[in-house]
Amino acid sequence: MENDNKATGAFEPKLVAFVCNWCTYVGADLAGTSRLKYASNVRVIRLPCTGRIDFMLILKAFAQGMDGVIVSGCHPGDCHYTVGNYHARRRWILFRSLLDFAGIDVRRVHFAWVSAAEGAKWADLVNKVSGEVRELGPYKEYQGLAGKGIA
Amino acid sequence: MARIGVFVCHCGENIAGTVDCPKVVESMMHIPGVVHAVDYKYMCSDPGQRMVRDAIREHKLTGVVVAACSPRMHEPTFRRACAEAGLNPFLCEISNIREHCSWVHEKSEATTQKAIDLVRVMVEKVKRNRELQPISVPVTKTALVLGGGIAGIQAALDIANCGHKVVLVEREPSIGGHMAQLSETFPTLDCSQCIMTPRMVEVAQNENITLYTYSELESLDGFIGNFKAKIRMKARSVDMNLCTGCGSCYQKCPQKKIPSEFNTGLGTRTAIYTPFLQAVPNKPVIDRDNCLYFKKGVCKLCEKVCPTKAIKYDQQDEIVEVDVGAVVVATGYNVLNTGFFPEYGYGKYKDVITGLQFERLASASGPTSGEIRRPSDGKVPETVVFVACSGSRDPAKGLPYCSKVCCMYTAKHAMLYKHKMHEGKAYIFYMDIRAGGKMYEEFVRRAVEEDGVNYVRGRVSRIYEEDGQLVVKGADTLLGGMPLEIKADLVVLATAMVASPGAEELAQKLHVSYDAYKFISEAHPKLRPVETNTAGVFVAGACQAPKDIPETVAQASGAASKVLQLFSKPELMREPVVAVVNRTAPPLFSTCVGCFLCEKACPYQAIGREEIKARDGKVLKVVAKVNAGLCQGCGTCVALCRSKSIDLQGFTNEQIFAEIMAL
Amino acid sequence: MEELKNKVRELLKAGTVQAVIGYRAGSDEKTARVAFVRQPDEADGLILDPRCTDNLAVYLLKPEVKLLGKLAIVARPTTARTILQLASENQLADGQVIVLGVSADGKAVVELASFEALEKFVGQVPAGLTEEEKVLLAKIEGMSREERWAFWQSEFARCIKCYACRAACPMCYCSRCIVESNQPQWIPVSPHDEGNLEWHLVRAMHLAGRCLNCGFCAKACPMGIPLNLLTQRLAEEAKAAFGAVAGGSATGEYALSMFKADDKEGFIR
Ligand SMILES: Cc1cc2nc3c(=O)[nH]c(=O)nc-3n(C[C@H](O)[C@H](O)[C@H](O)COP(=O)(O)OP(=O)(O)OC[C@H]3O[C@@H](n4cnc5c(N)ncnc54)[C@H](O)[C@@H]3O)c2cc1C
Ligand code: SF4
Ligand code: SF4
Ligand code: SF4
Ligand code: SF4
Repeated sequence: MENDNKATGAFEPKLVAFVCNWCTYVGADLAGTSRLKYASNVRVIRLPCTGRIDFMLILKAFAQGMDGVIVSGCHPGDCHYTVGNYHARRRWILFRSLLDFAGIDVRRVHFAWVSAAEGAKWADLVNKVSGEVRELGPYKEYQGLAGKGIA
Repeated sequence: MARIGVFVCHCGENIAGTVDCPKVVESMMHIPGVVHAVDYKYMCSDPGQRMVRDAIREHKLTGVVVAACSPRMHEPTFRRACAEAGLNPFLCEISNIREHCSWVHEKSEATTQKAIDLVRVMVEKVKRNRELQPISVPVTKTALVLGGGIAGIQAALDIANCGHKVVLVEREPSIGGHMAQLSETFPTLDCSQCIMTPRMVEVAQNENITLYTYSELESLDGFIGNFKAKIRMKARSVDMNLCTGCGSCYQKCPQKKIPSEFNTGLGTRTAIYTPFLQAVPNKPVIDRDNCLYFKKGVCKLCEKVCPTKAIKYDQQDEIVEVDVGAVVVATGYNVLNTGFFPEYGYGKYKDVITGLQFERLASASGPTSGEIRRPSDGKVPETVVFVACSGSRDPAKGLPYCSKVCCMYTAKHAMLYKHKMHEGKAYIFYMDIRAGGKMYEEFVRRAVEEDGVNYVRGRVSRIYEEDGQLVVKGADTLLGGMPLEIKADLVVLATAMVASPGAEELAQKLHVSYDAYKFISEAHPKLRPVETNTAGVFVAGACQAPKDIPETVAQASGAASKVLQLFSKPELMREPVVAVVNRTAPPLFSTCVGCFLCEKACPYQAIGREEIKARDGKVLKVVAKVNAGLCQGCGTCVALCRSKSIDLQGFTNEQIFAEIMAL
Repeated sequence: MEELKNKVRELLKAGTVQAVIGYRAGSDEKTARVAFVRQPDEADGLILDPRCTDNLAVYLLKPEVKLLGKLAIVARPTTARTILQLASENQLADGQVIVLGVSADGKAVVELASFEALEKFVGQVPAGLTEEEKVLLAKIEGMSREERWAFWQSEFARCIKCYACRAACPMCYCSRCIVESNQPQWIPVSPHDEGNLEWHLVRAMHLAGRCLNCGFCAKACPMGIPLNLLTQRLAEEAKAAFGAVAGGSATGEYALSMFKADDKEGFIR
């Protein structure tokens, strides 16, 4: 993925979104069928359920040069697998506190519930996160780690 | 080495309007492993699909990426096309460049770049896809129906009449449920027993139905198509094979003053009894708590009078085990009793009764033979007050939900009373009248207009006894909250419908979810109303939520049709998106360390344990094992497993890792 | 002390156990080392004093130790909690080890043959961070985000990926650690900053809700990295957010295997 907007030369953040197949993915489809326009710098990776979203995926995304990560699935109570999102929520609570404690900028990790009906919420989320991360600038700290310190 | 083909769809102008499709194709050719890439106006059309099939054969493709609309649209289409060309369908993935790209962004280089990224990510995934086979699960074509009310009866008959075996389990000594207790039914006022008893007899006579009454489910194991149910047949103390149902025993039984459950305590029964005359099976049970022989060791009158020697005092509970492929839960409801209401005297006034008790008073087969006489002194009441929403729609003190049938049966009750007591006065206190349903509103109108029932909008705040009458204090909110006091001879509370006793324990045995009020939850409130969150377990009737008979019967037939759908094929085919615990060479056998933390997390109890044994039978290791019949493929276990010993087919660690690395 | 030695001799003589895991004097005045006592007369070498802080439970699951036969183990309250936590993760069965529980003051020794007895034993000793530990955590939490990043980066930069921390941790009993998984290779093998960060975060997450705060990991680290602070922080979070505390019972629930429908968070949009 390219980091800079070729036309303007301004910084464009790179975002990845890990989403569940039944709510957020469908919500994003709905944004499409409704022809809502939103920032083009997000790439969606589809997983069956938020329960499947390993915290390692978030770390690997940063390692791969992402400036921000979105993690999203069904609202509590609406999980296609009944409770996968409740498990995910617990995991995120701990993981987010660990990231913060380790000095990782948690403003770059966004958790959201987006239902299959919330096409507009999805578009809005991407725009907002994109804007917020653009403000923060490239995630130089993390990206600077790659290859550094090899003895 | 992977040989991947990429097929980029223009979707007319839908994609090509904003994404430079030829450029996407061009950039694909630089990815190692991509041997073929083309774009086409309509990939999903016949010629488009032919392009895919031809390329698979011509280029010996080992994987296919179709960059087009959402996989929710055409994933099945393209997977089928791949299969037709001899490629395992699970080696085909869709990259969504329409809903997630061309439709949501303006035409620009960035949009094309995003499409390229999305396709590249999928190419990296597909390189790591494995051939998968749909999972086939054998199906035992016997259904277990729990509860013999109208819901269970309807479901059992529908399934049995299609030629499948049914095991019907009823907790009480007879089937029939609440409908057998009702007098006449709204909105037609036809006699409940007249329409119910023939159906009960049909159950008894149907060769495909095995009926276990006075029985309960002990446990349920297994998974869709392959359940094992244990049923506890409580000791009846009567040999069902010998008993002819002649009734000599209960005519002679000296214990005559036991309140009859069927008559809601308004009549009595004996210690050896059948709940009502039309009971199915019409064979008695001994209520051991009240039998003189069981209590004091003396009596045995029934044994003496039984002409067939059917009385067996030493009978024990018996557990039967049945294999079933599907379960229908139809365990019905209960009503709050009058003791629930402090403001209405906590059940201490004999003439404050529930709607269900009124049904028995109004029923021709009831304790008063259908004459409406009040319980305290048998007097025919001249004024009757009906209180709708007793306990329902009362978040503060009762239950927040609407019991749905009370408005209708209260109107019915007032009508039945007026039909029998033309001079009598009937008042109904109500919050609002909910009469949605065919002929329902007309029915309520009739009560008001033809039968002169007085509807008073407002709540009853207190009821107390004074001079042999009940003083009902309330307010008429249509008259600006004017206080109102009515002296009544009988008060009938339309008490809330609640879950039947034991509903929670039963739901836990079945691993199905239930709501805060212990009603069984359906899998989806709109689209899957008769399924539960456990595959193969269906729900019907008032155990799911309060409902009336027509709705109950419709839901029961719906559940039956789901069961029949399942039984329509010898095997059940499932997508192979299931978790698998790895197996490796000895001495490790699997990297799983048997912490079984995944077992607890699985929402479907799909994870079990497998003992790995040496030749001599010694257990070397216990590791997790996924039951593919139960696993729904959420992947919660995969994210949880620290040693990465469990993985999800179709969304493996390797695949997703590669997707991220391709960003 | 004599009490302990006598118990050990008794157990070995009677053949109740084949080996006892305890402490013996180290190479200098200040250290204690693990002792595997297999003969009654070897019990003389056992010590029990403030030097003996290692969490001996780590040895219980090592394959070579398992080969010794039935085991007894000298256990301070933290070790006892570790044993219960291992039991809740199906790694130890009831009655499999005899625990010689050492009271908090280090004096009395009680024989605890069942998990039930062990649960009672640990129930008497309050678990949780010490005041000093709390102060240290608060100090890091009090830093600005950039300072925390810099602090941890300077710590992680020293990590040589020797995995001594993992070997020392009784809860790191996987037969294949995620760092050894190579399909995919989640964490790069060589010690460089990105992989080091990932290793430390992954280790901490894998111990979230399971760590007993014995501190053995940090003690084992040849580079002096205070990596137990990470697990301490998560234990505090698990307790605050879910009321979950590791090591209280043999049937305890793992904080991440369960949930409450009303678990509270303040960050999901
Ligand atoms: C006062 C009153 C009047 C009504 N009047 C009308 C009317 O006029 N018209 C109308 O359409 N509807 C009416 N209804 C509603 C009607 O009663 C219900 O819609 C209907 O009975 C629901 O049937 P069901 O089979 O779901 O439940 P139920 O009739 O409750 O049957 C459930 C059966 O399951 C059995 N059972 C329970 N638990 C277990 C267990 N664990 N194992 C095995 N068996 C178990 C019970 O013993 C029972 O036999 C009225 C309701 C009330 C309260
Ligand atoms: S698969 Fe993983 S989580 Fe499950 S028992 Fe094995 S090691 Fe534990
Ligand atoms: S994928 Fe989900 S349903 Fe399947 S075994 Fe794992 S946790 Fe259970
Ligand atoms: S013991 Fe220290 S140096 Fe070794 S891997 Fe652990 S933290 Fe790194
Ligand atoms: S303190 Fe360190 S060694 Fe002890 S349990 Fe926690 S992570 Fe393992």
